Amino acid sequence: MSQHSDIDIDPITFEVMRSIFEFASDRMATVLQRSSFSPILADMLDFSNAIYDADLQLLSQAANCPVHLAAMKFSAEEAVKGVGPQNVHEGDVLVLNDPYRGGTHINDITFTKPIFYKGQLIGYGVSRGHWMDLGGGGAGGQAFSTHIAAEGLRLPPLKIYSGGRLNEDLLAIILNNSRTPHFIKGDVQAHLGALLAAEQELQRACDRYGVDVVQAAMKKIQAYTEKMVRESIRTIPNGTYEAEDYADTDGITQSRVKVKVRLEIGDDSIKVDFTGTDPICQGAINSPKANTMSAALYSLQFFLAPDAPQNQGLFKPIEVILPEGCWLNATWPAPTIGCTTLTASKITSAIWQALAKAIPERVTGSTCADANWFVASCVDDQGRADVFSDLPAGGWGGTPYSDGMNVTMDPLGNCMNMAAETAELFFPIAYEAFELRQDSAGAGRHRGGLGSIFKVRFFGGGELGMETSRTLAGSPGAAGGLASAVQRSSHIRADGTSQVIGGIDDDGNWQNPLLASHKFGPGETFMFESTGGGGWGDPRQRAVQDVLEDVLDEYVSIDAAKALYGVVIDPATLTVDEAATAALRG
Amino acid sequence: MWRVGIDVGGTFTDLFAWEEKTGRQVTAKVLTTKQDRSIAVLESIEKAGIEISDISYLMHGTTTATNALIERSYPDAAFITTEGFRDTIEIGRQHRQHLYDPYQTKPKPIIKRRHRHTVPERTNVRGETERPLDVAAAREVAERIKAAGIPSVAIGFINAYASGRHEEQMRDILRECCPDIHIVLSSETRPIFREHGRFVTTAVRAACMPVMVKYMDDLENRLEASGFTGKLLILKSSGGVMSAEAARQHPEDMLESGPAGGVAYAGYLTEQSGFERILHTDVGGTSFDVSIVEHGKGLITRDHELEWEVPIVVPMLDIHSVGSGGGSIGWVDAGGSLRVGPKSAGSEPGPVCYGRGGTQPTITDANLLLGRLDPTLNGKIDLDVGAAEKAMEKLAAEIGLSTLATAEGMIRIGCEYMAQAVKKVLVARGRDPRDFVYASFGGAGALAACFVARSMNIPKVIVPPHAGVASAFGATVMDLRQDIEQFYYAPVKDADLDRVNAILNDLEARARKELIQQGFADEAGIEIIRSAQMRYVGQSYEVDTPLPNGVLTAGHLPGIEETFHGVHLQEFGVSSDDFAPAFVSFSVTAIGRMDDPPPVELHYSEDDRAAIKGQRDVYFDGEWTRCDVYEGEALTTHHRIAGPAIIEYDHACTVLPPRTHAHVNAMGALVIDIEI
Repeated sequence: MSQHSDIDIDPITFEVMRSIFEFASDRMATVLQRSSFSPILADMLDFSNAIYDADLQLLSQAANCPVHLAAMKFSAEEAVKGVGPQNVHEGDVLVLNDPYRGGTHINDITFTKPIFYKGQLIGYGVSRGHWMDLGGGGAGGQAFSTHIAAEGLRLPPLKIYSGGRLNEDLLAIILNNSRTPHFIKGDVQAHLGALLAAEQELQRACDRYGVDVVQAAMKKIQAYTEKMVRESIRTIPNGTYEAEDYADTDGITQSRVKVKVRLEIGDDSIKVDFTGTDPICQGAINSPKANTMSAALYSLQFFLAPDAPQNQGLFKPIEVILPEGCWLNATWPAPTIGCTTLTASKITSAIWQALAKAIPERVTGSTCADANWFVASCVDDQGRADVFSDLPAGGWGGTPYSDGMNVTMDPLGNCMNMAAETAELFFPIAYEAFELRQDSAGAGRHRGGLGSIFKVRFFGGGELGMETSRTLAGSPGAAGGLASAVQRSSHIRADGTSQVIGGIDDDGNWQNPLLASHKFGPGETFMFESTGGGGWGDPRQRAVQDVLEDVLDEYVSIDAAKALYGVVIDPATLTVDEAATAALRG
Repeated sequence: MWRVGIDVGGTFTDLFAWEEKTGRQVTAKVLTTKQDRSIAVLESIEKAGIEISDISYLMHGTTTATNALIERSYPDAAFITTEGFRDTIEIGRQHRQHLYDPYQTKPKPIIKRRHRHTVPERTNVRGETERPLDVAAAREVAERIKAAGIPSVAIGFINAYASGRHEEQMRDILRECCPDIHIVLSSETRPIFREHGRFVTTAVRAACMPVMVKYMDDLENRLEASGFTGKLLILKSSGGVMSAEAARQHPEDMLESGPAGGVAYAGYLTEQSGFERILHTDVGGTSFDVSIVEHGKGLITRDHELEWEVPIVVPMLDIHSVGSGGGSIGWVDAGGSLRVGPKSAGSEPGPVCYGRGGTQPTITDANLLLGRLDPTLNGKIDLDVGAAEKAMEKLAAEIGLSTLATAEGMIRIGCEYMAQAVKKVLVARGRDPRDFVYASFGGAGALAACFVARSMNIPKVIVPPHAGVASAFGATVMDLRQDIEQFYYAPVKDADLDRVNAILNDLEARARKELIQQGFADEAGIEIIRSAQMRYVGQSYEVDTPLPNGVLTAGHLPGIEETFHGVHLQEFGVSSDDFAPAFVSFSVTAIGRMDDPPPVELHYSEDDRAAIKGQRDVYFDGEWTRCDVYEGEALTTHHRIAGPAIIEYDHACTVLPPRTHAHVNAMGALVIDIEI
């Protein structure tokens, strides 16, 4: 299929083709978002779209969820392999969500459409979305059991469209297994719309420039990105750099689960070695290979060539060593629902910490490193049940140039939160707070961004499942910056008294933060306090004026200004006590 | 008497005017006076030779509010909100602009956190009081605002779209304490749901109000002192005008005040030219603006973002801007590919050929080297061809092409980027490029127009007269316009029609009253357009669905639902039988028609060659071709021009590549047919 790669295309045509590929995947994303009916796709943007060449090498991916970046390739490959390449025809759409065959967690479902030009296979469109509910023991798949079967319907490679005709039997099975069947037909349509957009754009490019030129450009664009990535690796000193991070728990046992990463930086290549990582765990945070590969690659992407076109060339200079039997290489029947959020973000944090040892002047403090994704069922006064979901974000790490961003979705995705008034209009709940959490960020010359305080009250009661971590220690800083506060969940009763249900309580005891079907009675409130990002640089070097501004804006308390930054501020006048500050700062 | 349109831009203040009795038209251009923009307004009138006392209507577009916002150069404002939501206007929707940039930051909040206060209170989704406003806490906040000397306060409470009672109560308490400050309520600014957009829009109104009041005072004083007795009208972002007093109170309606004029001109011109759907494009030195105009009107959006996560949720013309223009720089990226922009040489230092220190070749330099631009720009300036060539040679060596191939390549790439930008705008609104005529505005627009259109399979391009003062021209074709809206959520089948009719009647009465207050005398002549913002139950996006006039009855509902399905299909590419349609809000637009300028006078000549002022070699598709150069102002409806050719105007230049044909229509616009 690569017999055309010897055609030489001029640099101008190449740039034009690059722009066409980029537009094709962008258009897929626009179509999917605008035509989907489920809030998690249309509002929260938990989806990704990409085009591939005939050898299933990535050509272009829309800027949606980084954690889907490399994972989609595995899904598409397994889908084609499973159905059999000889059985893939024009008008077919393949579907798959099996975590052990190129998927990640059950809710991420992937559609693959072969694209033909005048009878010749020229590429594939691939569209992946997080579907709200595909059954299982808890709403949204958050059962936190010890077996994948509890997380919902696991689809092997199948055809959902065959020669353009919908497979009604398969659709009926999916509909029968979801808590939110009313979204499914619309979402299938939306994914199909995105895939048809990809097909149309690639076919138009062939009409205009000729199939040979398009195919040659497909090869060349991968070499182009590869070159950019290799050039960027040359700017990182050769050597071996190690770091670790942890999930606080797998939800079943009380022990932390370790990610160990060793980066071997060569001249123009990187080896990411996960040897030493903990074995497969019982709980629902195991990460299948596709997810781990994706997390490793997108984490590096931030510091390699963030502007390079998103294609297979990104991956070629990077080798990932993934030992058999570790929790980042999950096999049947290990449950995986938490892999895309809790686990992916720990992989990022570990890789960034290792990278900080090589290029401290370029790497930022750790982000909150969790999506804090929860799914809750709720009932109204007539007993009608519904399911809603949100992800109160934390902060990003301080950078060499500025403070980190407040309350921003983790690098793994770019989902939006739910508006309070939207939530209240459609569900029997009240949003009581979503605001910045003072002193939650790691201190630093450039401090981390702040985390948040989030509260939702259930009118008629509800059950909530949540994945989170960073309840034992906050997000690490970089280049001398300090760690952020810890996260925790609380249950507030109708009389206003409260109890910590995840993280360290007031008595210093730690509660398992992976909530599975935690019950709230009528009028009771769930509260979550997320953490900020880690700081960058020595906090004592932060400009005194900046510390004062932070205190005036109540991002930082007067106590923390003194204890962490060595800046003494008079609470009555809100001015800096220069002498006391000089004494403290030395 | 004269009707005068004035657009105050970042660099130039433009004027277009026509005399009501004779139809005579004049234009003027002066430098914008940045300290006090009202000075340049007066200067432009003087330069045009119009007596200020002879002006009947002065229609004015200004970016004063937008500039103040972008620079955050307004006095500190305060924000009062429900306990728990102090940071809604800072947190936004928690997503980021650049997927993989670890160093990115977000725009500063419109109002600083130290000036954002909360009070205990709660209204539920039905507009009922769940927790009364804590009066003692409210007084304390008022005292703090007074002590800080804040001149302008926004109040935004959760669910205030359903009832503004608590906000009004808070206002009364604040008013008692601080009688002389501006107070703005979210339930009055924009009573629609989703707190982030409503709060930010309210904050923007509060922040800009002191700035706009001062600007309007200055301008009116200056005009009055010079003998102005006419009516001053201000351009709105939605494509209409309002009184100066309304502009003081609604600065959030002026954020696209300048570009709105250009879109209005596009709408007017194309309607007069008989085109139903056009793409309005405007290429300047650094940016490329695109908007969709259908049936003479620009499409409206309620999702405009001033900056990342700074939404302005009032109806505005849907104008998209990308960084691509005459100053866009050609460069080779780390992967070895030739790129164009978004970095621009701007006006300082400008393109290499301007000789003001630019060293990197721009689109303008490429056009010059290819013979598409006159090296003297019609005798105005001596462009440095040698310097441009040298800069281009350097770039050419980096990618291994000839200098000319590189220059032509830069233009091809730049045009391809523009084509993708236009397609994105169309795709997002469910339109097909092939249904559109490509309208090219701005000085640099028509150099590229035919290439961009061809790349999208659009066979027709239109280039207007007066392209250099388009926004000022557009100002004079605008009508008085008032858009108001009220939230009412109900699935269509459950809607209380008495309530709906009451809402629509109330909106209509208020909109009429507002126009009359703004000085529109002919009440019977007011046109009313009604629409509902509708969506499927459970979905999150609304589409504007036109409603019939008069009393709505159950018999109307099937027709309304059918229209909704159709609009949804158009905007989103799908419609559904599985989900029930629902109303989210109702809106009324009242329009008071104003007179349009008469068509330009065209000269008639039987001689096809009369407008040709010379010939030069122009580089197309890898070879030099001898082309006729036409004087644009001398063209008449009689002329038929076949590409390749160049048509030069005073402030603009049109390139006709091979396989194109052009003529001037009765409106004086150049119409180009392209063989695809």
